[in-house]
Amino acid sequence: MGNAPLPATVRALAGNQVETVSMKRRGEQMLGLLMAGPALLVVLGIYLYPAVFTLVLSFADYDLVRLSIKRFVGFANFSSLAGNPAFVQATLRTIYFGLLVSAVTTVLAFLIALLLDQKFYGRGLLRVFVVLPWAVPPVVAGVLWGQMFHADVGFVNAMLFQLGLIDSYRIWLGDAWTALHVIAIAEIWKAIPFMVLFFLAGLQSLPQQVFEAAAVDGATATERFRYILVPLMTPVAIPLMLIQFVWAMKAFDTIFVLTRGGPAGGTTTLNYFVYQEAFQSFNLGRASAAAYILLLVTLLTVAVFAFIRIYVDRKWRRA
Amino acid sequence: MIFRRRRKAIFRASAIYLAAAVVLLVMAFPLYALVLTSVQPENLMRSRDLQVIPSQIIFDHYQAVLAPGHIVPLRQGMLNSLLVSLCTAAFCVLLALPAAYALARLRVPGSKAILGVLVSVYFLPTTLFLIPMFVVFVGWGLDDTILSLVLTYSGFILPFQIWILKTFIDRLPVELEEAARIDGCTPGQIVRLIVLPLIRPGILAGFVFAFILSWIEFLTPLIFTNSLKISTVALGMFRSTIDIQIGQQAAAAVLTLLPVALVMIVFQRLVTQVMLAGADK
Repeated sequence: MGNAPLPATVRALAGNQVETVSMKRRGEQMLGLLMAGPALLVVLGIYLYPAVFTLVLSFADYDLVRLSIKRFVGFANFSSLAGNPAFVQATLRTIYFGLLVSAVTTVLAFLIALLLDQKFYGRGLLRVFVVLPWAVPPVVAGVLWGQMFHADVGFVNAMLFQLGLIDSYRIWLGDAWTALHVIAIAEIWKAIPFMVLFFLAGLQSLPQQVFEAAAVDGATATERFRYILVPLMTPVAIPLMLIQFVWAMKAFDTIFVLTRGGPAGGTTTLNYFVYQEAFQSFNLGRASAAAYILLLVTLLTVAVFAFIRIYVDRKWRRA
Repeated sequence: MIFRRRRKAIFRASAIYLAAAVVLLVMAFPLYALVLTSVQPENLMRSRDLQVIPSQIIFDHYQAVLAPGHIVPLRQGMLNSLLVSLCTAAFCVLLALPAAYALARLRVPGSKAILGVLVSVYFLPTTLFLIPMFVVFVGWGLDDTILSLVLTYSGFILPFQIWILKTFIDRLPVELEEAARIDGCTPGQIVRLIVLPLIRPGILAGFVFAFILSWIEFLTPLIFTNSLKISTVALGMFRSTIDIQIGQQAAAAVLTLLPVALVMIVFQRLVTQVMLAGADK
């Protein structure tokens, strides 16, 4: 009885139904692709095609006058970079710069977020002023800090001089080491607001009972900070630090405005090196190779960060 | 005991206000100093006494940089940037809206992968793309045109834009659209009468972000434009970093910053909301 064959009409109906459903689904898929198509096309045109082209270029010698590849040179571009001490230094400098900016930004943003999480008079106003640098275009940030550290009219020199901390005006951008850190200050100042907002959101979503319970149990403020707040905020901090690191690796505008990579190449990071190779030396092959090395360094660091995050997560779960 | 507690409270309050003062000084003073420099006569700035409160306010520097024919092509640059940013923002919203809706609501094959790629492109250095784009645009005769800027900016901004709009569409309850369909709305009507009005803040946010990101872009116009005629405002700034008076440089910087700061202050709530939406992901 249960195995009785279905009447032909029913089967035909069911079949039709199935067919219309699958046709409908296919129609929906087509429509979806049609709707997403133009946007994806532009994105692929601006990202994927150039990325592949750059990869090809990194193994080639490119003729900029005829706009064609002269010949393929294998790994010559890469080996010439590896043999260039300026490039190796720029690579190390980039990693240092990225780590410095992301670490300092994270610490300062966390402290500022902690402050803004307290209740005090004028908190709203302070918050606006803290967020404001986020609206500052990178070029303007460069100009602004360039003026702050200006050798003659800069406020930093004037203040330090008045306070008696320096006995003569210093040329901050004239020395590679201090110039690099002026650039770092500009980047950090610009990056702080973004992170503060995220930390604030994180702080406000923390379970207050945990802190109260700890206080009742007699934990001091320092202990609560060290054993509750910091571990709870670490999962928020690591992705933020990662994003910041990637951004710092891409820093260009501030370097261009403040030092043009100088003095004597002392503030050239990889991104700036690529620009110089491509659009000042017009060696597109070597520039492309350098761009891919920058990508590789970035991805490697991202991988290290991901690894740390997994490690912290695991340690946290075990505790 | 009470005395002691009160002393502790006072200590705590003064610590907070001290910290607040330091934060205010570090975060806000540079901006203040920039505005200050832009309204002071050159000789006052050059003098070595530290003056934080202006004794004299002048607008000569603004007048100078805005005058036609100034070495900083600021007036032209601002107009160009306005045009480019508005075009880019409109173009991006137009393309991103259907894409975001499709990725949020329709079964698009590989939509997960598409979204993943869209997010991950932000980890890649911009220079990776600009070298070939330069070659292509020179080949097409598009270098040194506004179109090349709009196209490139759009490519850079679209992934972010799609992502913003998708978060807003994701937040709409699907039931609304289903109910409308049952009531006999055509897909076109559903989008026009229900989805679009409800995600209007998202569209506005997308537009604002695209505008800001286009306005501040520096590297792309640096590479793609040569003639002063289509110099953008950010690029004009860089020309001002060489050989111009420091007051005029500050004035140019303030003018570059002003539109972005205004937009940001007006849409502060919206901007913060969009940024923090990323925290869920």
